Amino acid sequence: MKISWIMLLLTLVIYIVTAFFNSDVALASLQKSFEIIKSIAPIIVIVLFLMAIFTTLVKPKKMVKHIGDDSGLKGWMIAVFGGVLSHGSTYIWYPILSQMRNEGAREGLIVAFFYARAIKLPWIPVMIAYFGLTFTLLLSLYILVGAVVQGIIADKFVKVDLIKKL
Amino acid sequence: MFSYKHFKEVLNNTKRSFFMIAPMLIAVIGLVGLLQTVLTSEMIHSVFSGNAIYDMFVGTLVGGVSVGQPFVSYILGGELLKEGVSLYAVSAFILSWVTLGVVQLPLEWSLFGKHFTIIRNVLAFVFAFVVSFLTVMTLEVLS
Repeated sequence: MKISWIMLLLTLVIYIVTAFFNSDVALASLQKSFEIIKSIAPIIVIVLFLMAIFTTLVKPKKMVKHIGDDSGLKGWMIAVFGGVLSHGSTYIWYPILSQMRNEGAREGLIVAFFYARAIKLPWIPVMIAYFGLTFTLLLSLYILVGAVVQGIIADKFVKVDLIKKL
Repeated sequence: MFSYKHFKEVLNNTKRSFFMIAPMLIAVIGLVGLLQTVLTSEMIHSVFSGNAIYDMFVGTLVGGVSVGQPFVSYILGGELLKEGVSLYAVSAFILSWVTLGVVQLPLEWSLFGKHFTIIRNVLAFVFAFVVSFLTVMTLEVLS
C-alpha cells in the first residue's frame, strides 16, 4: 500500500515539475491519462467482481494438497487449472508450494502451476479490450500447453540431476 | 461450494484490496499519459528494430525486469501496439511480465533452491519467445 502512494506522489511531483517547465505538455499528458481512465473504468468494475468470485472458489491450502508426487493426470489438471484460478500475489503461493515440494510434490507440477498463473482470469476483460478476443484466447491456449510442456521438461531435468547425484 | 455470504465478505475484501492498488493504477496511467506526450513514435521505434526475434528479445527483457500488477503490462503493451510496435514484441513483454520476475528471484531462490529457480526461469524465458511466436503466427493465419 505504501509503495502505491509513494508512486502516486512521485507521479504528482513529475507532473508539477513538468508543468513548471512546460504547462502544455503537462496538460496534454493529463488529457491522455483521462482518456485511458475513461476507456478502462467500466472494465475495472467487471475485474472487481471476477476477483471476488475466484477468491471465494479457490483456496490455496485445499488446492495444493492435490498436486502430490503420484497425482497423475489429475495432478496435471489441478496444477494447470489451479494456476489459472489462483489469485493474489505470487508471494502468497511461494511458501505453500515450497512446503509441498519439500513434502514430495513433483517439480514439474509446480513449474506448470507457476506458468499457468500467467493467465490472469479477472484481468481477461482488460486484455480483450486492448488486444481482442482472438488474441486473448490464443495466448491463453498456448500458455496452458506451454505450462504442461515446461512441467514435463522440468521433471526430466530433475531425473537427470538425480541420476548424476547417484 | 459457493456461498453468497462468503462471496459478499470476499467482495468487500476485494474492494479494499482494489482501493489499495488504486493509487498505483492512477500513477501508472498518469505516467503512460506523460510518456505518450513526451515520447515520439520515432523514439519508440528506435528501440524496436522491426525484426520479430530481436523485438521479442527486447520485449522479454523489459517485461522480465518490470514489476507490478498484470494490468500495468496490458496498458503499456496496448499503448505500444498503438504506436506501431510489433505484436510479437508486445506479446513477449506481457508474458514475461507475469512469468519472469527478476525482483522475486532472491525469494524464489531461498525457498525453492538454485536448481529449481534456474530451470523455471530459463524455461519461462524460452517460452516467452515460443508462446508469443505461436500466438501471433496463429493469429496471422486465422485473419
